[in-house]
Amino acid sequence: MAECPVCGAEVPLNDDTVASELMECPDCGTELEVLDTDPLTLGEAPESEEDWGE
Amino acid sequence: MKVGFLYSLIRKEEKLLIDEFGQHSDVELVMLDDRKLIFDLQHRLDVDVVLERCINHSRAMHGLRILESTGVRCVNTAHVASICGDKLLTSLALHDHSVPQPELRVAFTEESALEAIEQLGYPVVLKPAVGSWGRLLSKVNDREAAESILEHKTILGSYHHSVFYVQEYIDKKGRDIRSFVVGDECIAAIYRSSEHWITNTARGATATGCPVTDEIAEISLRAATAVGGGVLAVDLFETPQGLLVNEVNYTMEFRNSIATTGVNIPGKIVSFLVAPGR
Repeated sequence: MAECPVCGAEVPLNDDTVASELMECPDCGTELEVLDTDPLTLGEAPESEEDWGE
Repeated sequence: MKVGFLYSLIRKEEKLLIDEFGQHSDVELVMLDDRKLIFDLQHRLDVDVVLERCINHSRAMHGLRILESTGVRCVNTAHVASICGDKLLTSLALHDHSVPQPELRVAFTEESALEAIEQLGYPVVLKPAVGSWGRLLSKVNDREAAESILEHKTILGSYHHSVFYVQEYIDKKGRDIRSFVVGDECIAAIYRSSEHWITNTARGATATGCPVTDEIAEISLRAATAVGGGVLAVDLFETPQGLLVNEVNYTMEFRNSIATTGVNIPGKIVSFLVAPGR
């Protein structure tokens, strides 16, 4: 478990969670990024930029 | 084998690829976060190959170019990234290889862009040369809309909006086709369906399985070859005259296409990357 930096809710993480992984807070819906896996730390995901895409 | 994994963020696609690499006991994955990398022009990264999965086009293109200059093999190549990241360069590559595509015009000023639009006839689609996920596309239905959009782009757009890419509007009947090419094989395809004229799944279109016909495979492979080849997603329009290539994507997203096609797309990509002799 890690804490959502926006609403403080507990966010469940899997065993294979890796740094830089994106996920969504189940409570407030904010898109989050795993900043560190030891200790598990979450931050808000970066905002989309103009040259983002595939 | 050491594989560099160049990325910005770990989305569903990157997670699936990492899982696939984990199936290869002889592969050591070296994670390369593009936000933390510092390049010099001499140092060669200690990897055999780099798989590019950046979300930023500018970082992908320049990162790949630097890596290749130091002798690192990259998938896709910097050349492919530079072509596919720019719709005009993609259209030129398709044209040079006689791959069918919608009619288009390119202009550099508001006045010439308006003339270009009227040459093609309404409706047309105005696209930024660099952009993805269906963002900032405009379906222009008449002269009043054209004048307004061109003025907004000129005054409010960043500098690369001053290149006006005008494409013939194709009535897609609510869907287009996205095919997936890995090396010399068209491995899968999906229909992307939407009530909206933009049929990107990033904009809410629904993905369903599409059989890979000979025609789809042939035009997809020709489009892939035109832009330099590798791991590519090709967007196709169905028209009474046959298939047309709309765009070619070099950091393809496939999260909605594995279950719908039954094809292990990340598995195919990883197998291609680590294949002996490559």
